[in-house]
Amino acid sequence: MNTTTASTLPAAAAQKIPWRKSKKLDQWICYWSVPFFYNLFGIVFVPLSWMMPPRSPSSPLPDVVAFMQSHNLLLACAILTLAYGLAPVSNAVYLTQMKRMSVNPAFRVTLMIGSIAGAIVGMLFPLFCFGLGAFRSGYEPAVLQMLYDFGYLAFIGSLGCFCAMWMAFGLAILLDHNNILPKWLGYYTVWQFVTELVAAPVWIDKSGAFGWNGLMTFWLAMLIYVPWQFIVYVCIYKAIRDQPEDELDNAVARKPGRAPAGAGA
Amino acid sequence: MNTRGQRILLWITPFAGALFVLAWFMFPVFSPQMSPTLSPQEVAAFFRANVSGILGVVILGNLIGASLAPLFAVTATQMSRIGNSSAVFTYAYIICIGIGTTSFILADYCWGVAAFRPDRDPQLISLLNDMAWFLFTAPVGAIVVQNLCLALCVYLDSRTEPVFPRWVAHFNVATAVLMIPGAFSLLYKTGPLAWNGSLSFSLRLATFSVYVAVMFLVLLRVVGNQRDNAEMIA
Repeated sequence: MNTTTASTLPAAAAQKIPWRKSKKLDQWICYWSVPFFYNLFGIVFVPLSWMMPPRSPSSPLPDVVAFMQSHNLLLACAILTLAYGLAPVSNAVYLTQMKRMSVNPAFRVTLMIGSIAGAIVGMLFPLFCFGLGAFRSGYEPAVLQMLYDFGYLAFIGSLGCFCAMWMAFGLAILLDHNNILPKWLGYYTVWQFVTELVAAPVWIDKSGAFGWNGLMTFWLAMLIYVPWQFIVYVCIYKAIRDQPEDELDNAVARKPGRAPAGAGA
Repeated sequence: MNTRGQRILLWITPFAGALFVLAWFMFPVFSPQMSPTLSPQEVAAFFRANVSGILGVVILGNLIGASLAPLFAVTATQMSRIGNSSAVFTYAYIICIGIGTTSFILADYCWGVAAFRPDRDPQLISLLNDMAWFLFTAPVGAIVVQNLCLALCVYLDSRTEPVFPRWVAHFNVATAVLMIPGAFSLLYKTGPLAWNGSLSFSLRLATFSVYVAVMFLVLLRVVGNQRDNAEMIA
């Protein structure tokens, strides 16, 4: 940073700054990759492969075989194994806002651990199972059924790491004194945490409300999760937009007197 | 100095401990644990006979693994307070936890998938069971390095009032050493190094349980002694 930039800054701020010149360009790029990522997921999961909503755990064997060997499933796995790299970006967007909160970095580390483990056990591994099944014809139906079970159970039953993530996120919002995100979002996030716990019995039942395609394990989670995801993104949008420029890491000069982010609590 | 957040995260650990005790007594399917010498038919029979017990362990295991993350996260931030020339040990420590948690959860899922449909081909049940034991017992590298990072970080602490007491470093080295035999469980089907052996199973699990309990108490004190508000971890 040099002094010329500092002296021209107020004049520049008065005009409409082109988006490419925004000081928050890094954050906006990451932010806008997220809707792209979720839309791609939606398209691939539902109309392309019909992986979601989940097929029944008690589907007859010929149906399982037909699904596991469909070409679209393989295509879906290819697209998703490319796109899953964007999951870390969305979690980094959360982490950036958490860093501004007056909470201990341990909350961020917890979310980081959950997101590393979650991306592998809850995303890469199930895609791998579906992909392995679709890759080669000639496997015995029993093998395909195992891969099918593994794929769906890992997708729907991966709750531990996400519990840790949402617990850390929700608690950080509630304990934060800088009011980076609204408190009610903290309470809503606690509910998101509860839906993860409700999915725990997914390993037991093969049909009914607690099967992996059941009312409680899948549909309740969707009912709470989908609006939550939207609302979080609206809140994060506002948080990035309202972040004062002098607080950014690339700010020319910092104002003293604000509670330091990332320390305390 | 407000350490409420750290204390909330730490007190999740006894919850993990309680789940572990619950899993151990309610579902004693892994004590005595299965032998690696069982044939696929015997493994399948074992799973058919113990479906509910194994699924109970699987569900609790998933939650236990995740609820240990906050303890390690608080450890990491306290490590970064030590103030060596860089946060290199802290970063290595955090990545190790991510990897270790991943392999533990995958082991958990392999048992879960095997027990989900215990009537599937015994070959597949046996394969899933072996995968689970491999992932559960063998990848000790991450936890060994994790403990050594913490130990080195504490040894190099040159503050007048060290963040961690010196014995915590010795304790972490000792724990790391006791974890090492697990890696050799791939080579043996009987004896102390086999996955049901005294070194690879009993000693390792006991060491880990004691380790978590001791580190919980240590961190309660470390967090209680924290007086500065210094910014930690990038």
